[in-house]
Amino acid sequence: MEVLGDLARGFGTALQPINMAMLLVAVILGLVIGVLPGLGGTSGVAILLPITVFIAHGSLPGSDATTAIIFLAGIYWGALFGGVITSILFNIPGEPWAVVLLFDGFPLAKRLRKPGLALASSFVSSFLGALVSTILFTFFALPIALKALEFGPAELFAVFVLSFATLIGLGAEAPMKSLAMLALGLLLAAVGFDTITGEQRLNFGQVPLLSGISFVPVTIGLFGIGEILASAEEQGIGYVEKISARLGLADVFEAIRELRKRIRLVLSNAIIGFFFGVLPGHGATAASFLGYGLARQYSSNKENFGKGEISGIMGPQSAADSAGVASLVPMITLGIPGSPTSAVIMAGLFIWGLQPGPVLFIQHPDFVWGLIASIYLGHLLTFIICLLAVPLLAMIMRVPYAIITPFIVVISIIGSYSLNNSMLDVFITVIFGVIGYWLRKMKYPLAPLVVALVLGDSTERELRKALIAGHGSPLYFFNSGLSTVIILIAVVLVLIPLIRTIRRRRAAAAAAESPAHP
Amino acid sequence: MRPYQVATAAAIVLIAAVAMFDSRAAFNPSAGTSPGDVGARWYPFWAATIMGIAALVVVYRSLTLPQAAEGVFEGRKSVFAVLKLAVPMVVYALLIGGIGWRTTDFTYTVIPPFGFYLGTALYMGLFAWWLGRYKIWWVALISVAVPLAIFAAFEIGFRVSLPKSFLYTSGILPF
Repeated sequence: MEVLGDLARGFGTALQPINMAMLLVAVILGLVIGVLPGLGGTSGVAILLPITVFIAHGSLPGSDATTAIIFLAGIYWGALFGGVITSILFNIPGEPWAVVLLFDGFPLAKRLRKPGLALASSFVSSFLGALVSTILFTFFALPIALKALEFGPAELFAVFVLSFATLIGLGAEAPMKSLAMLALGLLLAAVGFDTITGEQRLNFGQVPLLSGISFVPVTIGLFGIGEILASAEEQGIGYVEKISARLGLADVFEAIRELRKRIRLVLSNAIIGFFFGVLPGHGATAASFLGYGLARQYSSNKENFGKGEISGIMGPQSAADSAGVASLVPMITLGIPGSPTSAVIMAGLFIWGLQPGPVLFIQHPDFVWGLIASIYLGHLLTFIICLLAVPLLAMIMRVPYAIITPFIVVISIIGSYSLNNSMLDVFITVIFGVIGYWLRKMKYPLAPLVVALVLGDSTERELRKALIAGHGSPLYFFNSGLSTVIILIAVVLVLIPLIRTIRRRRAAAAAAESPAHP
Repeated sequence: MRPYQVATAAAIVLIAAVAMFDSRAAFNPSAGTSPGDVGARWYPFWAATIMGIAALVVVYRSLTLPQAAEGVFEGRKSVFAVLKLAVPMVVYALLIGGIGWRTTDFTYTVIPPFGFYLGTALYMGLFAWWLGRYKIWWVALISVAVPLAIFAAFEIGFRVSLPKSFLYTSGILPF
């Protein structure tokens, strides 16, 4: 059991005082970010990314790149938990993955007057889901990474194509919109110098664009400013209901009793959430809806759903947190982000001078295993803080709109400026903020854009390396059995929406042709 | 909803067309001259082509499929709620860097750079006064406290230098 030895070493790294201190700060920041409706996990991680440059380069005593990744990931764990508080107590989703809790979380808190039980149910199922996912992460990561070490350019390009295909084929939005956003991400990544020939492209004679369009300001704009604009619109028209809550030990014990009754649902949703989260671009939000659907489908109390059913809280929560953890698996093992948030974390690795992917396990084992150990510790810390500090976290929602909203804009501007000390990045953030808000309204998915932007350079590099190796022939991609299989799976995934449409049309035509029964 | 969907997709088609035009060198004879017979413009050209085709399909579907009857915004109130945030944000970003342009001989300044700290003071103060309707001393406190806290955290704590104002360059203020 080499893995357990590695994990023990990882705990040795994660338990160092500086790493634990930064993990604690990160989960508290993540919880605050999760609670604030205008600030999401992705934008929160992106805004704080520039700070990690100083952490990774040892600005704090004893800090290094492992401290930086523990810090960034810790924000994500906090945000995964924090988003549910506003959903349950205020009927406003603090995070996209907490939207599903409006269906049963808020009714349990308001109509059935059990806010403490609603929160405790969410926290215990989140914790269990994350724990299952982290255990799977621990045992799956190394074999995947070792296999990926054998990949050449053709296989790597095929894996990138597969990740793009899952975004198109399995996405919730229209596939053509996903494809357009994906291509836009690839196009934006191509701006500036071509790394192979050194030629300038798509800079339209503008010198500042020669270094390319930076990933971080675009992400802060799309997710940070875009979300705050969307939130401004909602708060401008909506009325916010507020329930105050305290979380007692009695609530926790009752939630554990309820959890034991639903242990099969929670565990199976956690496992499904893990495999769903590993797929690029899906992450916690899609898993939460899947988890809710499964909980409802296999429940004997279907009629209680939407009225405060505890399975409607525990099912999606275990799947969402499990998928959130799992979205780091392809990022660490293959260099492919599983969600927009893990795309930002991956951008952090590039900035700290690390290459995400299988080589990390060989070159920086302390970094990888320190991160994995910190996932266990991070969730435990988040769980404890949530149980102790719900009233305090809920108080954040009482900070007036006229202060908190401009403040989020201010920290977004700092985040985008301070990475490269560039005013151009500030304008990119503002422009992409408005674009992101509008694209969201028009139902264009942003995950393909962000994932393609972060993977664009690597995709082009592997594609061209493969073409160079194959003397310009695309048949080179089919020389290897593995890359052929991966490309075929990608083609099938892209065809899924088309097959669905044809089946739907056939069913509609059949229904129209069949005689109406009285 | 239909006109907005069509206009958005058409804008994406336009961006694709501009990128394709810029990358038209993809069709220059490069066989045997570029590594892998693929020049620097080949990849952006085809990315733009895919984007343009996908957006054209979205235009076609928006025109032919039934669309939701409701508008993009729920009403004037929601439009103003967004504009109240978006317009000051753009002005704030412009104030930080200032507005002007440079020729080989002269620098023309329309608005001098207010820098991050003065810009933030004005921006936070505006929201507190306009949307918060706070008393003037609260507005003043927010305007001073937020930039000061950021100065302490970033300039002193993390040693991150944020943009300074024209008053800094003339030696009047420390930021």
